[in-house]
Amino acid sequence: MQSRSESIPRVKQPAISVRQLRKTYPGGVDAVKSIDFEVAAGEVFGLLGPNGAGKSTTIGMLTTTIAPTSGSARVAGYDVASEPLAARSISSVVFQEPVVDRTLAGRRNLDIHARLWRTDPSVARSRVGELAETLGLAELLDRPVGSYSGGERRRLEIARALVSEPQVLFLDEPTVGLDPRIRHELLDVIGRLRDRSEITIMLTTHYLDEAERLCDRIAIIHAGKIVALDTPRALLAGLGHELVELRVNGDAATALSSLRTRGIAGDDAFTVGSTLTVPLHDRTAAHAISAIHDADLAASSISTRQPTLDDVYLQLTGARLADAA
Amino acid sequence: MTAISPEMTLPRPRARHNPLAPLATLAARRFQLSVRTPRELVVPLLTPILFALVIAPALKQALHTSAAYEAFVATGTIGLLIPLNTMFAGLGVIVDRDGGAQRELLAAPIPRSLLVLGNLAVAFAITALQVAVLIAAAVARGIHFNATATGVVWFVAAAALFTVGMYGVGETLASRVPKAEEYIARLPAIAIVPWFLAGSLFPISALPGFLAWFAKFLPLTHGLALVRYGLLGDSSGLHNIWSMHSATTMATLSLAVVAFFAAALTVISIRAFNRAAVR
Repeated sequence: MQSRSESIPRVKQPAISVRQLRKTYPGGVDAVKSIDFEVAAGEVFGLLGPNGAGKSTTIGMLTTTIAPTSGSARVAGYDVASEPLAARSISSVVFQEPVVDRTLAGRRNLDIHARLWRTDPSVARSRVGELAETLGLAELLDRPVGSYSGGERRRLEIARALVSEPQVLFLDEPTVGLDPRIRHELLDVIGRLRDRSEITIMLTTHYLDEAERLCDRIAIIHAGKIVALDTPRALLAGLGHELVELRVNGDAATALSSLRTRGIAGDDAFTVGSTLTVPLHDRTAAHAISAIHDADLAASSISTRQPTLDDVYLQLTGARLADAA
Repeated sequence: MTAISPEMTLPRPRARHNPLAPLATLAARRFQLSVRTPRELVVPLLTPILFALVIAPALKQALHTSAAYEAFVATGTIGLLIPLNTMFAGLGVIVDRDGGAQRELLAAPIPRSLLVLGNLAVAFAITALQVAVLIAAAVARGIHFNATATGVVWFVAAAALFTVGMYGVGETLASRVPKAEEYIARLPAIAIVPWFLAGSLFPISALPGFLAWFAKFLPLTHGLALVRYGLLGDSSGLHNIWSMHSATTMATLSLAVVAFFAAALTVISIRAFNRAAVR
């Protein structure tokens, strides 16, 4: 049997290439609206957005479990519509919901994956042992999966996805529903994947810290469209090094308009409810706060802080990510 | 961190190997799941055993029927066992979809039709075992069969094809209904009602005219007539359908009906599965 490592030269391709990809579900729901992006080999690429933004639908189309309405998607050069078996053979996916045979032992779940992905049995055996050690599953593997905790089961699913040594790994909301400690453990595990193997990872998340910590680049997806795509650093840089946040007693939109008229706020300032956020860019915080006081706004609080991805998302979509999720 | 390169040279996807290898993996998986769910194995067997070993002898005693009637009912219960068992197997598909590993299997580099065929292989094997148990229990109870080697061939062919067709019904229904509760609600209409009309407990000639005519279109009627022809050497069921003189001709025609049923439902079930699996 041919092993994964026996590379046969082939036309060089991005690990993932998506062109004008669209999905409209029956009933006319446009889940994904003509998106484009490419993921380079070895990159960790994040799709960040709230529930219902189209992240899982995108992953579904790339893993051939959802049929695109139009456009094209390639995984390692293989068209997911016309070459689905080839695309699936070099990729693995960890789903958002638990997708395991609960009555079977963890080891059997891994074995089934290895066999279906046609991993050489001896390679699979050593890989299972290695993954069990790395992911802390060694003591659990011979127990039925139904007896696992949520975190243990999720680690098993990650191990299963890695048994076949995929070139491209899809992680659909890998930490959703897990308690904070287990979530951080898993983030460590995913982070280590970046360090130890030549693997391209595409993950979806609505957790900002997760995206910022793990991803080389992030696409912010909102209502089926990609509204921004860049490195976390570049996305944050768009809002400058510091911003002022003030809570106003009256209408925030009127206050924002007033600040814009006075040249204190630029086009990238935004409001959410009664909170008004003003990126400072070249202005100093002291100058901005002084100007805000001079504007005589009825502000109940005023503070400065560094921008976060939440602000980037908020500025692009007009909705706080945690609220939308 | 791993170096990022804008392009990658990837291995060619693994060459196609023996397609039976993933089929065997899927069947082994389904078998392991089934044996861990005793209801799938035991429940379908209970009612036919009850009919063959308790109700048929009781009817014989109460109604003063001949010994042949016990054998008639015992073979008729095969027509209950096969639909019940295959429909219960179809329930496993819903469990797999709602709380099992179906999505993982859908992401595997195998033709998705193999998922249906793997389940079918296990449903077939378990049904064969249950039919064997039913016949063995009937023999142990003193019910007499009159099977020749050729008769056994007719019986096996009919039972096997009918099992394949009925599993196709179960798989198709499982792909079309969203919940196990809805599936179970439809099970009696599919697995039990036809049994009463297909000549299981009495010949279809005893039915009212319209129902007798309707019964001739049921694959189960043809299957049971073949089972009795094979196990009891009794061609009256075939005659009630075809009204011909040649038993072999009638048996061939009925086998063709059951074979068509099996082939059509297998194709339909694979299409239904693919349609439901990929949104």
